[in-house]
Amino acid sequence: MGRIVLENVTKSFGETQVIPPLNLTIEDGEFAVFVGPSGCGKSTLLRLIAGLEETTSGQILIDGEDATQIPPSKRGLAMVFQSYALYPHMTVRKNIAFPLRMAKMDQSEIDKKVEGAAKILNLADYLEQKPGQLSGGQRQRVAIGRAIVREPAAFLFDEPLSNLDAALRVGMRLEISELHNRLETTMIYVTHDQVEAMTMANKIVVLRAGHIEQVGSPLDLYRTPRNLFVAGFIGSPKMNFIEGPEAEKHGAKTIGVRPEHITVSADTGPWSGRVGVSEHLGSDTFFHIHDTGLAETITVRADGEVGFKHGDTVHLTPRADVIHRFDAEGLRIA
Amino acid sequence: MSSRKLPRLLQTPAVVLLLIWMLIPLSMTLYFSFIRYVLNSLRRPEWTTPSLSNWRGFGNYEFVLNSKDFLFAIQNSLFIVCSILFLTVALGVLIAVMINKAFPGQGIVRVLLISPFFVMPAVNAVLWINMILDPVLGLQGLAVNGINDLIASLQGAPGIGWFFSLWPEIEPISFRATQTSAYAVIIMVTWQWTPFAVLIFMTSLQSEDQQQKEAAVLDGAGTYSQFRFLTLPHLSRPIAIVVMIQAIFHLSLYAEIEIVSRGNGNKNLPYLIGEFANNNIGAASATGIFAVILANVVAIFLLRMIGKTLME
Repeated sequence: MGRIVLENVTKSFGETQVIPPLNLTIEDGEFAVFVGPSGCGKSTLLRLIAGLEETTSGQILIDGEDATQIPPSKRGLAMVFQSYALYPHMTVRKNIAFPLRMAKMDQSEIDKKVEGAAKILNLADYLEQKPGQLSGGQRQRVAIGRAIVREPAAFLFDEPLSNLDAALRVGMRLEISELHNRLETTMIYVTHDQVEAMTMANKIVVLRAGHIEQVGSPLDLYRTPRNLFVAGFIGSPKMNFIEGPEAEKHGAKTIGVRPEHITVSADTGPWSGRVGVSEHLGSDTFFHIHDTGLAETITVRADGEVGFKHGDTVHLTPRADVIHRFDAEGLRIA
Repeated sequence: MSSRKLPRLLQTPAVVLLLIWMLIPLSMTLYFSFIRYVLNSLRRPEWTTPSLSNWRGFGNYEFVLNSKDFLFAIQNSLFIVCSILFLTVALGVLIAVMINKAFPGQGIVRVLLISPFFVMPAVNAVLWINMILDPVLGLQGLAVNGINDLIASLQGAPGIGWFFSLWPEIEPISFRATQTSAYAVIIMVTWQWTPFAVLIFMTSLQSEDQQQKEAAVLDGAGTYSQFRFLTLPHLSRPIAIVVMIQAIFHLSLYAEIEIVSRGNGNKNLPYLIGEFANNNIGAASATGIFAVILANVVAIFLLRMIGKTLME
């Protein structure tokens, strides 16, 4: 069980309030991702839930019980850190067994659990090695193993993949998602990478300066971003924002069109411009179009085989049904 | 000239200098330890100049082994060194952990803590034995007198007087006596060398990973467990360094022993060498070779022990 509820939680460091009153519910078994630019308070929020930071005011409920004053070790949460935070002088086996040893569990029981976790995480061959002898991905798995054996009410991940290289990150992303499917335990995951958020989450919480900008499933956020910030943050490459007469035509201060919702062609289309940089990914090509008179650059996704060159004049057609409209405050117009 | 030769040639002066610097004293000691060599002898004037014709074989070693102070000196050397090592490391870890947290006046406390290390050993010994440990004039004498006076005055007090009249009068301890002079040396050297341990442990503590500690907190480790399973292993290397350096330094303690009791009841190997060297250079050299062997044995033994207990 792991239903986590934050009620009017605030956090101040001295005079500066980094988390203004905040309400959030994470249901049991959910994979919630806190995402936002660096310094938005997402890690602080996670540390408040873990109990590593003291809550200034408000309540944190874990399974309906007020946990605000409960010390971190008694909250039944396990955390995986960005730097892995493995104990360098202990073997992998002892690292994973550490929380059980602290709980004064039977040695035979400990062995059983460690072996079990090692099997799930493919660490069985490395149990007698020290963390220093392992690769980044293996270390991260040891950190996850140390969390699993405690059978926590919820897992907390603090940017766990930021120290891994790109290929490994994709692999670990899958492994963590699979782990979530298998364990069906609540997971809270902090990242600044919207791709991680989109691919892993059941529920994304977009944060800016301690405020929750929007909460929803990945596709909710993609389809109906509540404001300009969420619209710009979710989706890759970024949504194009267009202001001025073109936006007024749609009765909005700003309109947003995603690169994948614009068709590019040599001769037909309401908008036109010159091709600047084109990024060929093989499957897709991203064109950065200048001189459209709409915005500085318009990013467009086209098929991988489309072969416009630098300086070519092209015409663009936005898909009319997926134009996002925002008012003067930056809020979505329904 | 091949490409290897030039660099080697250029290194030669340094290597030769080092060899001379290390090998000559050692080989001279070895040489003297196998010949009869005394500074002054009316009966056998030929022994006063070192020469191979005075060859004595292992005679000097036998003489040293059979001298009444030798085994005692080795025992006492080990006792003093081990006591000082244990006390400085224990106090050093304790103090370093205590002053690692931020508190007002931290800078001043740190400077004060380091300052004993800047006192010269002989001055340190004179100050301690005369001003602090002296049973009459030192702080010890004053404190013992004060306590005795206090108890005496309390014995007359109504109600609780009977309790204090059960107390015996405290006697001050004379640290120049045969039985206690080693303790005096241990106390003063510990005082002087604890700052060294604190300094090294403190720098090491500052490089401790805070996220590891947070992870341990979440894993349910209390303050003691964090200290035992994270901080102590983290300190194991600096502890080994402190023990090594101090073992080398304290095996050659001399000034403190000379000043406290002139070796009365408290000789170590260097002091024994000093006594022999008053006249018998051959025996002093043989003792010196024993000291070299002892230092190596101690170093190997201590390092093994620390490695085993702390690195789990």
